[in-house]
Amino acid sequence: MSAARSSRGREFGLERRMSRSATAWLLLVMAMLLAAAVAGADPASASASASASGSATATATASAAVTAPAYRSGLTPLPGDQKVPTRLLPPGSFDDDPGPSDVIFPSQDLTLRFNHKLHVQGLHQGCTSCHAGAATSNSASDEIVPKGVACDRCHRSDHSDLHAVKAGPDESGRCAYCHVGYKDGDGNRVADFVIPRPNMVFSHQKHAVRNIGCPQCHGAVQELELATRDQMPRMRGCFRCHQMPDALSRGDAKAACDTCHVRAPASQGGVIRSVFASGKLLPPRWLHNAEHGPDFVERHKTVAGADSQFCANCHKEDFCTDCHDGRVRPRQVHPNDYLSMHPVEARMEMQRCQSCHREQSFCVTCHLRAGVGESSPAAVKSAARFHPPQAIWSSPVRGPGHHAFEAQRNLSACVSCHVERDCVACHGGAGIGAGFDIHPAGFVSGCGMQLRRNPRPCLVCHQPGDAALSQCR
Amino acid sequence: MRGRAIVVVCLLGGAAAWPRSARALDAEVTSDTASQFYDVRSPTGTPILMRSRLTTTLGVSAYDLLDRPQEAGQEKKPDLFFRARLRYDADYGAAAEEATPGNLARVVPGFSRGPVDLMYAYVEGRRFFHGLLGFKLGRQYVTDAMGWWSFDGGQLRVTTPAFFALEAYAGLEVRGGMPLSGPLGRWEADGVWRGDRSGFDPSAYPSFLQNDVAPAVGCAIETAGVSWLHGRLSYRRVYNTNDSIVSQFSNGDLSPVTYSGTRISQERLGYSLNANAPGFGGLAGGLVYDFYANTMTSVFATADVYLGKKVTASLDYDYYQPTYDADSIWNFFAQYPMNDVGGRVLVDVTKKWSLSAGGHVRVFQNQPVTDTIPDPVAAVSFNGGGSLGARFRRKDTMLSLDASGNFGDGGDRVGGDVFGERVLDARYVLNARVGLWQWEDKLRPDRSTASFGYVLGAGYRFLHGSQAGLEWENEINALVGLRVRLVAYLSLAVTK
Repeated sequence: MSAARSSRGREFGLERRMSRSATAWLLLVMAMLLAAAVAGADPASASASASASGSATATATASAAVTAPAYRSGLTPLPGDQKVPTRLLPPGSFDDDPGPSDVIFPSQDLTLRFNHKLHVQGLHQGCTSCHAGAATSNSASDEIVPKGVACDRCHRSDHSDLHAVKAGPDESGRCAYCHVGYKDGDGNRVADFVIPRPNMVFSHQKHAVRNIGCPQCHGAVQELELATRDQMPRMRGCFRCHQMPDALSRGDAKAACDTCHVRAPASQGGVIRSVFASGKLLPPRWLHNAEHGPDFVERHKTVAGADSQFCANCHKEDFCTDCHDGRVRPRQVHPNDYLSMHPVEARMEMQRCQSCHREQSFCVTCHLRAGVGESSPAAVKSAARFHPPQAIWSSPVRGPGHHAFEAQRNLSACVSCHVERDCVACHGGAGIGAGFDIHPAGFVSGCGMQLRRNPRPCLVCHQPGDAALSQCR
Repeated sequence: MRGRAIVVVCLLGGAAAWPRSARALDAEVTSDTASQFYDVRSPTGTPILMRSRLTTTLGVSAYDLLDRPQEAGQEKKPDLFFRARLRYDADYGAAAEEATPGNLARVVPGFSRGPVDLMYAYVEGRRFFHGLLGFKLGRQYVTDAMGWWSFDGGQLRVTTPAFFALEAYAGLEVRGGMPLSGPLGRWEADGVWRGDRSGFDPSAYPSFLQNDVAPAVGCAIETAGVSWLHGRLSYRRVYNTNDSIVSQFSNGDLSPVTYSGTRISQERLGYSLNANAPGFGGLAGGLVYDFYANTMTSVFATADVYLGKKVTASLDYDYYQPTYDADSIWNFFAQYPMNDVGGRVLVDVTKKWSLSAGGHVRVFQNQPVTDTIPDPVAAVSFNGGGSLGARFRRKDTMLSLDASGNFGDGGDRVGGDVFGERVLDARYVLNARVGLWQWEDKLRPDRSTASFGYVLGAGYRFLHGSQAGLEWENEINALVGLRVRLVAYLSLAVTK
């Protein structure tokens, strides 16, 4: 850091600190406004799109908290609502697992008391004894949860007419025995039992015929009392098998997204459907490192560069070109008043301009039109100087602030405004320009190949017979 | 240009109409239109450019062209579809003289008041020959470690049973000034001012080169199938052809005035990798080597570590040294790479709230100069900065904060935007953005200032994928005063 620059920094330091302080306060206020806005937002949560199962006449809502106290089992996965250990959860679950996707498996309303462990281990029932459809279903929207009539054989109730359900003769046939919150006098009314259809493509049959047992996707349900959403499959678990190129799988588990995820209609581009009533489907952080966090717009290069087809599963070209070849400024990338502040930003190159703009087209044309370019048309060329004073910026003796250093650090900033003639005037070789050499040290050792493959740029500054040029031949 | 546009519209219309006889064909016609009214002012506050812009696109897609229904449980059938998008981008605020080659006092080479370009138009086939073969024919994009690129031609892709795919393509690079490419290039390598020189005297604007066909070939090998690892090695070569003006000063003494011949435009190799261990973290990175400039132009890497289920910490490295089209003189200029090292933390506070914060240091280099004592120029200088982001997202509500600060020798910039959007009754869209930014131009301190701006917007969704709206933007800073920008937009989507 030069002494002059340091001195200038000290000179403006106080003012800068003050203005930054004001900016910081305003940012804080904006953040508080943001928080307040969120706090005041409508707390209603997304509702499930459709119910796969439910009682036709139920009107009451109930929770485990209002369950008849006589029955304690089958209300939670483990007695006393203990935490379900990872070994009992579906494959792919984490320790401290957050559960399956809320978007794929919308929240449920389980108003039935049921003890899987008792039925499987105590009564020796198999999964398909109740979930008969689990061996034959070909669609994720099929109802696998048994109807009430499935219970009737043992509980001696009669659910054949849901408008006039008959209780069984003993304790296990009472409505309140299974229906949480049911009270004497409720008649035929029980609480809604809601398991929304999962937003995915799935065939139980395909898995069953391949001898894939229920626990391989649902975990150890036989060890649990109530089976909740937590026993629905985890995407990580699916990938234990689904690792084959789509078209070549020959029956093996395909890894393509649309193997499990719902595609939008072909007329809408056929991409994976990502918007549901239960929320927006976004990739988890462990899938291609593509978590769509607040800063993903700055980081997506590594994902798209490695596998653009991964992005294309959910996004059509238009989504990308709106920024990368866009004509309307995307404000998330270029904030308000970017037009005024872009010179400073371009000099720092924090956002790489070339990602979206071709400098010798997009940038140069606008700069020439605006009259700030060296080669701007005479009628519009601004008399105002864009760069620092000539004595600093382009003095034959290079000192701090000389344009040579700016060019060496970030040549793109120069290319965004100047055309080659602007540079050749001084940097052209003998007979063309003033002859100020721009080549880096050691340039001659490698220039032969470049001259052979494309002599055009050499000839811009050197005449064919130029002695300097002959060093590269 | 108008004739070309009519031809293209007819072709697209024909393409949309032709498949209607096919039984299972799905078609989609989309259009995005934006009108923008604003002015561009210099730092002195003088109005310079009055911009009255109209940008409209027309997209046509047709799917399931083979009409082969998928049978449950059977191997996926081959699929063929077509996609195209045409764009008209006009600035009615521009003077006609700015696009008139004969008016040298006003003309800006390459500028056009109402260009039409074909963004993409291709037929793509997938899963032919039992899933082995895929292809793409027409104007298309390629995305890989080397960035975005577009060409007219064909691409063939063979997916092997051994978890990798081979890809090869050949065609003509999409360049500015060529038919249906618009006047300004976007996809060709940077560093050369090119376009259509029709009407220009050879001595006028010699730096503005006539664009010509640019043959291109490329190939890639890429992993296929596995979800936890993806890598792509790609290679591309593009040629410049025909005449190019060489002499920048036509004083009659210098020769040659033009250089003619087929020569290299760019030759690059790119590699990118993305790997993940779901319980621990991930690695991603890539590099680009420029064979003509004989230098590594880009190296980037990111390591993610999962700290519990809600926190992801990342370490980033980025190396960048721009290289240009081989016709460009700027490949030969002494320049040094930028090296960035950064760290960032992403916290998923809840399923709806997430926060990100990061910081980085950028190392700039230049030739050390010590003969200017007492003000020696250091060989290395540092820039630094950080960013803060927050987002709340729910079905009908989106709130976000994007703030950043960057500080260095060339200037400082610090500030942030707060954005909110609410959709009422799934139809009425309301949004607002407030921003406060302050910057200091250290090369021209008189151009340092602070800016306050806001945007208010409202829209109406009247069909699936269709929305109309209006945005009012107001900005104020001490350099250019109060500025207003009005944006009206209309998105339409009709599907069959």
